[in-house]
Amino acid sequence: MPHSSLTPGKRFPDLDLPDHEGRPRRLADLPGGDPLVLCFSRGWWCPKEQRFLRALVELQDEFEVAYARIVVVSVDEPGVQAAFRAGLGARFLFLSDAERRWLGPLELEETTDTTHAPYQPYVFTLRPDLTIHAAYAGYWSFGRPTLEELRMDMRAISRDIRPDWEL
Amino acid sequence: MAAYADWHWRGRRFGIDPRCLADPAAGRPAVLGAWAHVCASPDPAAQVLFDSTEVQQARRDALAWWFARLGDDLVCLSTLSLDASYYGGAITVARSPDAFADDPFARIFGGTVERTDAFARVLPPPGPVLERYSGAPWPAGSFAPA
Repeated sequence: MPHSSLTPGKRFPDLDLPDHEGRPRRLADLPGGDPLVLCFSRGWWCPKEQRFLRALVELQDEFEVAYARIVVVSVDEPGVQAAFRAGLGARFLFLSDAERRWLGPLELEETTDTTHAPYQPYVFTLRPDLTIHAAYAGYWSFGRPTLEELRMDMRAISRDIRPDWEL
Repeated sequence: MAAYADWHWRGRRFGIDPRCLADPAAGRPAVLGAWAHVCASPDPAAQVLFDSTEVQQARRDALAWWFARLGDDLVCLSTLSLDASYYGGAITVARSPDAFADDPFARIFGGTVERTDAFARVLPPPGPVLERYSGAPWPAGSFAPA
């Protein structure tokens, strides 16, 4: 189970992690006023993650014109993430927690994997101020959000934050 | 920038992501001795719609591999806007000009390389948004309340 503060209505912690190019980033800087899909992923080696991230790549063609953002966090090193991202054809950001600094505070350790000590798969949809809209536990693959659920979450957040939603 | 105030100056005005312009007083120190790849033309006819497929694809390429290709050399990147609809070019600033031959924006308007101390470091946008915010030159802007 993730930390009890990682529930809808609560503010997600402002993670400070390097991106896939090793550049320091803060989560709070990433939405830029847009809704955000924050995806915790085991790592490049996991077939379930490969499948889910290919689905997010499919979704990015909609996000690129819809003012919504995607960020993936894993324990892969930045160089590995950069190669994985390029192989996927992703145009969104990866954050690397290779040092596993946030794994414990978020209580997102996947304790069943003692080889990689990764994040357990979890997807959060966030408002621009990092308030959690929805959380999806993805340890079992069917717990992950479908692309349609992500669209619906982006719609709900966008409707709420765009004052000109209905012109 | 003073050239803009000289009415004898003959050139083109472009909008640029203001975060790219060095302003130490605003917390944006200049990266000294950088190189700018200016993919724009002085020809007033050199303009295409931001919405055109070639400009969209250059922005996609920037997110997919151009920022990564530049790596730590990247200082900043901005498209150059003529108005809310038209693209006049792009500028990539880096600590080394070595990668400029791969600049995806040079497919639209060819690039020239200049030495510059005028730009500040701006991190690449997180992606995958390609659309502009109220006509601002990509990747500038936001719909967030001021």
